[in-house]
Amino acid sequence: MSDESHCSPRAVQVIGRGAATCLLALAVAYGIGGSVIEYSFSSDPLGPRVFPMALAVVLGLLAVWYFFSPGSAEGFPSGVVLARVLAVPVLLVVSVVLFEPAGFAVSIFILTLGSAFIFGAPPGKALIGAAGHATLWWVVFSYLLEVYLPSGTLFGR
Amino acid sequence: MNLEYLWQGFAVALTGQNLLIGLIGCFIGTLVGALPAIGPINGIALLLPIAYTMGLPAESTMILLAAIYCGAEYGGRISSILLNVPGDAGAVMTAMDGYPMARQGRAGEALALSGIASFVGGILGSIGLALFAPLLAGLAIGFGPAEYFVLMMFAFATLGSMVGSYPAKTLIACTLGLMLATVGLDATSGAYRFTFNEPELGDGIEFVVLVIGLFSISEALIILENQGRGMTVIRELGRMTARMSDIVKCTGTTLRSSLIGFVIGVLPGTGASVSSAISYTTAKRLSDTEGTFGKGDVRGLAAPEAANNATACGAFVPMLTLGVPGSGTTAVMLGALMLYNIQPGPMLLTERPEIVGGLVASLFVGNLILLALNLPLVQIFARVLTVPNWLLVPGILVLSIVGVYSTHSSVFSIFLMMSIGMVGWLLRKAGFEMAPIILGFVLGRLMEVNLRNALAISGGDPSILFSSTICNLLWVLAAAVAIVPFYLSRRSRRRKMLMAAE
Repeated sequence: MSDESHCSPRAVQVIGRGAATCLLALAVAYGIGGSVIEYSFSSDPLGPRVFPMALAVVLGLLAVWYFFSPGSAEGFPSGVVLARVLAVPVLLVVSVVLFEPAGFAVSIFILTLGSAFIFGAPPGKALIGAAGHATLWWVVFSYLLEVYLPSGTLFGR
Repeated sequence: MNLEYLWQGFAVALTGQNLLIGLIGCFIGTLVGALPAIGPINGIALLLPIAYTMGLPAESTMILLAAIYCGAEYGGRISSILLNVPGDAGAVMTAMDGYPMARQGRAGEALALSGIASFVGGILGSIGLALFAPLLAGLAIGFGPAEYFVLMMFAFATLGSMVGSYPAKTLIACTLGLMLATVGLDATSGAYRFTFNEPELGDGIEFVVLVIGLFSISEALIILENQGRGMTVIRELGRMTARMSDIVKCTGTTLRSSLIGFVIGVLPGTGASVSSAISYTTAKRLSDTEGTFGKGDVRGLAAPEAANNATACGAFVPMLTLGVPGSGTTAVMLGALMLYNIQPGPMLLTERPEIVGGLVASLFVGNLILLALNLPLVQIFARVLTVPNWLLVPGILVLSIVGVYSTHSSVFSIFLMMSIGMVGWLLRKAGFEMAPIILGFVLGRLMEVNLRNALAISGGDPSILFSSTICNLLWVLAAAVAIVPFYLSRRSRRRKMLMAAE
C-alpha cells in the first residue's frame, strides 16, 4: 500500500510507460469490441454499445495521463526470485489440469508439495506439509462442510 | 427515529447459531488480520464461497463476513506492533508508535491499549451506523436512476482523490473494474458482450473468481517475492494490561479518532488506510507538544486503531443504505449480498430488516467478543506470526481453488482466477491498488443500468442527469472532492517551497 517507489526513477518511468501503452492498446481493443456488439433490439436509447465505448474513451484518456505521470512502482523481481514467482502459476496450471482427472487429494498434494518447495521448505517438511494439507482439506471440505470436490477418475474410480 | 430494525437484528444476532458464527468469524478475522500478508478482503474472499456453498442464510453469511472484517481490523495491530509490518492497510499507522513501544519492552501494554481503542472505535462506529443508516436510507428512497448514476460518479471522484497518491492509477483501476463488469449477457438487449464465444462467460465474470484472483493469488506471489526480507518478531511482551493513566491520556484522542474514522468510513470508496492516516496526523498536530509521536506515544497508537475500527462500521452505511460500498472490503460484502440475489439499497432496511439489523447488532456483539478474545488471548494470536510461509501459502492456494470450484464446479473458473491473479500481480508491481477494481466491478452493472434507465425515462435526453437538486448537489460534491485535495496539496507544496526559499 506504500506509495514509496522501490525502484529507480528510470525504472518507474519504463514500467509506467509500458503499462500505459498496454492500457491504451486495451482501450482501443475494448472500444473496437464494444462498437461491434451485435443486438437486434434494445428497450433503451443507449443500447449495449455506448457504455463500453465510453469506458474505452475514459481508459484511453487515463492511460495518456498515466503515460506522462507514471507515479511510483514497486518494480519487478529478477533472477531466482522471478523464476520462483513464475513457477507458482506453472504449478497451479499443472494441479488444475489434474484436478478433475486425478482428483482433489492428488492435485492438492502436488500443488502444496511444489509450493512448499518454492517457498523454501526442506524436502522432509514439504512432504509432511503437503500430505497434511491434502488430508486436512479433503476431510474438512468433503466430510465436514460437504462441499463437492472431484475424487478423480485416473485411478480407475 | 425508528430503531425497530435494530431490535429485530438483535433477535437474529443473538440466536445460538449466529453467536457461534460471530465467534468463529471474530477468531478467524483476528488471525487473518494478524498475518502480515492477508488482509480482511482476502479472508472474506476465501470464506465467502465456502459459506455460500454450505447454504448459510444470507443474514448468517453477512454476520460471519462482518465478524471477519472487524476481527481483521483488531488483528492488524498485532503484526504492526510486534513485527513493524502492518497486518492490513488500516494498521500502517499503528506501527508508527506501536512498534517503538514494543521495542521499549511495552509490547503487551501496546497490544492491550490498542485493543481497548479498537473496541471504543468499533462500538462508537456501530452506534453511528445504527443511528445514521435509517436516516440515509430515508433520504435515499427518493433517489431515481439519475441520482444513483450521479452518486456512483461521486463515489469514483472520492476514490480518485482520496485513495493512493496517484489519482490516474486509482481511476484506471476503477475503469478496469467497470469494464470487467460489462462482460456477459446484457439483460436489456440480450446481446453477449466480450464473451469470446465462451459459454462460461455468458453470465459474466463471477465475483468470487475476480476477488480471489486479484487478492489471494497475487498476494501469494507478493509474499514469495518478499520472502527473506528480515522480519523479527518481538517475543518479550512485558506487562499485558494497559495502565489507567495511559487510558485516561488517550481518551480524547480515541473519541476524536473514532468520529473521524466513522465519517471517513461513510464516504463512498474510502477506507481504513485513509482514516487511520488522517486521525494519526490530526492527533499529532493537536497533541504532540513534546515531539513524542513516532517514539512510542500511546496517543499515536490509540488514534489509528480507534479510527480504523470506526471506519469499518462507517463503511457499512453507504453499502447498506445506498448500495455503494464504503471500502474495498464492503465492496466484497456487497458482492456477497448479490450472490444471494439481494440488492442493497434504501429499501433493504424495510424489506429485509433481519439482514441490516442482524448485521448492525452483530457488530455490537462482535466488538464485545473481540475485546474478550483480544485481551486475554493476544499471546495466542501473536504465535500465528511464527507460522512459516511454506505452510501458510499452500493453504491460501488450496482455499482459493476450493473457493472458486465450490461455487460452480468449473475448472474454467479456476483458470480464469489464475489469469486474473497474474494480471493483478502485474498491476500491483506497476503500483496499482486492487480495491478500486473491485469497487468498479461491483458498481459497474448498477451504474450502466441506472444510466440507461435514466435515459430511457428522459427519452435519451442527458439533461436528466442534472435535473434534480440531489443530482446537482452530488455533482457539486463530486467536483469538490476531485478538486479540493489537488488545490490543498498544491498550496502546501507552494508553502513548503516558500519556506525553503526563506
